[in-house]
Amino acid sequence: MMNAIRWWWGLLLAFSLLAASRAFLPLPFVNEVVIFSIYTMGCSFLLGRVGFISFGQPAYLAAGAYGTAFYLFYFGTDPYVGILVGILSGLAVSGIVGPLFVRLRSDYFALVNLALAVIFYYLMQKVLADITKGDNGLWFLTRMSSTPVLDISTPSHFFVFAFLVALAVWAFYKYLDDSIFGACCLATKINEDKLEFLGYSNYRVRLLAFIIANTTTALAGALYAVYLGFVSPEITSPHRAPDPVVVTILGGTGTLYGPLVGAFAYTGMKDVISKLIGNWELFIGFLLVFIMLAGEKGIWGTLQPRLEKLFSGRKDRTAAGDGAEARR
Amino acid sequence: MPPDSGVMANTGEILAVRGLNVSYGASKVLFDVGLSVAPRQIVACVGRNGAGKSTLLKSIAGFLKPDSGAISSGPTRLVGLKSYEIARMGIKYIPQDKKVFSDLTVRENLELGSYASKDYNWDRITDYFPRLKQLMDRKGGYLSGGERQMLMIGRALLGSPKVLLVDEPAEGLAPSIVAHLKDVFGELSKNTTLVLVEQNLPLVCAIASKVYGLKEGRIVAKLADRESIKPDVCERYL
Repeated sequence: MMNAIRWWWGLLLAFSLLAASRAFLPLPFVNEVVIFSIYTMGCSFLLGRVGFISFGQPAYLAAGAYGTAFYLFYFGTDPYVGILVGILSGLAVSGIVGPLFVRLRSDYFALVNLALAVIFYYLMQKVLADITKGDNGLWFLTRMSSTPVLDISTPSHFFVFAFLVALAVWAFYKYLDDSIFGACCLATKINEDKLEFLGYSNYRVRLLAFIIANTTTALAGALYAVYLGFVSPEITSPHRAPDPVVVTILGGTGTLYGPLVGAFAYTGMKDVISKLIGNWELFIGFLLVFIMLAGEKGIWGTLQPRLEKLFSGRKDRTAAGDGAEARR
Repeated sequence: MPPDSGVMANTGEILAVRGLNVSYGASKVLFDVGLSVAPRQIVACVGRNGAGKSTLLKSIAGFLKPDSGAISSGPTRLVGLKSYEIARMGIKYIPQDKKVFSDLTVRENLELGSYASKDYNWDRITDYFPRLKQLMDRKGGYLSGGERQMLMIGRALLGSPKVLLVDEPAEGLAPSIVAHLKDVFGELSKNTTLVLVEQNLPLVCAIASKVYGLKEGRIVAKLADRESIKPDVCERYL
C-alpha cells in the first residue's frame, strides 16, 4: 500500500515538474515533449512488457493524425471530436492488422510493422493524394472551432489539455502495470509456453496489448494533428520509424517514467544539438551505442535505483521490497 | 501389443491415451503409446533420458501435436485443443525446468494462476508449502530450485485441477524437499489425479499406484499392483 502511494506521488511529482517546466521552457518544446511521451508510451509498453519491438509506430501515429485531419478538413470543426475520430481510427487499424501481426515472432513483428509504415507513407503521399493532398498535406488550423473551457485550438490551452491527457495515459499504464493483465504481458515476454500452461492464451494477451499500445500511439497522432493544425505524409515517413524505439531505450525500456524522461531528453538534445551541429542524429546514434554498452538501462533505468536509495535509504531493504520495486 | 494400446476407454478413466505417435520433425519419438489413468490415482512413467517421457506429458498438455492417436479426458478429446484450453479444463502441466516467471514475485505468480482459474483461496497452497508464505514478495528469479518447484505445484493447484501432469518433480532437489514432495503428492492424490514422469525410483515406488516403463518411445511394461512396484523392478526401465 505504501509502495502504491509512493508511486502515485512519484507520478504527480513528475508531472508537476513537467507543468513547472512550462514557466521557463518554450511552449512548443513542452507541447512536443508531452505528445512525444504519449507517442513513446505505447512503444515502451510493447517493448518492455510484451517483448515486441516495433519499427512501425509511425503507421499508427498516422492513423490517428489522418483520422483527426480528415474529420477536421472534410467533415467538422470540433477538435475534441477530431481527436476522438483519430483514436477510433487507430483502434480500427490496430484491430485489423493486430490479429495477423501478433502471431509473428518479435523480429518479424518489427519488420512487418516497418512495412506497414512504408505502406501508409505511400498511401498518404501518392495513392490517396486526391484526399490527402499528397506532400502538401491537409491544413485545417483555421477551420478548427473554439471550444468552451479549454480552447485547444490555442497552443497554451492545448498544453493544459495534452498535459491532462498524458497524466491520464500514465495513470492508465500504471494501472495496467499493476494489473493481472500487466503480469500476463510480462509473463508472455518471459515464457509464453508457461503462460499457456496456466490457462491463458498468448495470442489474446498479445493482441490486447498491441491494440492498447497502438491506440495510445494514435492518440498521440491525433494530438499532433490538432496541435499543428496540419498533417502531411511526413508523419509516417519510414526514416522516422526508429524515433519511438530510440526514445524508449534512451528513457529506459519498460519503465513507467522512461517515455517521459526519454522524450524530454530526446527533444531537448534535438533542439540544443541541432543548433550547434547539423547532423544531430549522429550524436544520438553515439549516445545510444553508449547506453547499450553501459547496460541497456537508459536514463531512468540508471537513475531509478539511485533515487530509490536516496529516498528510502535509511529503511532496511527487505527482499520483499526488492521484489515489488524492481519491476519499475 | 503395448499395454493399454488400442483398448476402448474404461468408464472410470479420467485420462486415456491410445496409440499415440509423436515426432519432432523427421525424428519419431513416441510409438503407439497408451496410458490409462483412473481418478485420484498416482501414475508414474519411468524411463531413461530420451525415452519420450516429457514428450508424452507435453502431448497430453497440448503443447505438441501428435502424428496420430487419441488422448481423452472423460468424453472430451484433447487432441487438437490448445494448451491453454486443456489447462482450463483442469489438466495442468508442471514442466521439468522449474522456471517460474522470474520477473514476477511469488504473489504475482500465484495471482496469475488465480485469475486464470478464478480460485483466490491460497490457504491450501500455503498449508502444503508454508515456506511460500514467507516468500510472497520475492521475485521468482531469486528462489531456490525447491522453492520454485513448490511455487509451480502451488500455482498449478489453483482451481483444484482434476489432473496434474508433473515432469520430473524431484530432479535436482535436496532429499528433504523430495521427502516433503512425497507427502504432498500423497495428500494431493486424495482429490487430484497425478501423472508423474520421474527417475527417482524411491519416490515413484513410495507413491505410485501404477507405473509404466518407457523405453525408446515405447511402453514396455505396466506395473499395476503395489506389490510389483519396487525399485529393483522399475530399475530395469532406466
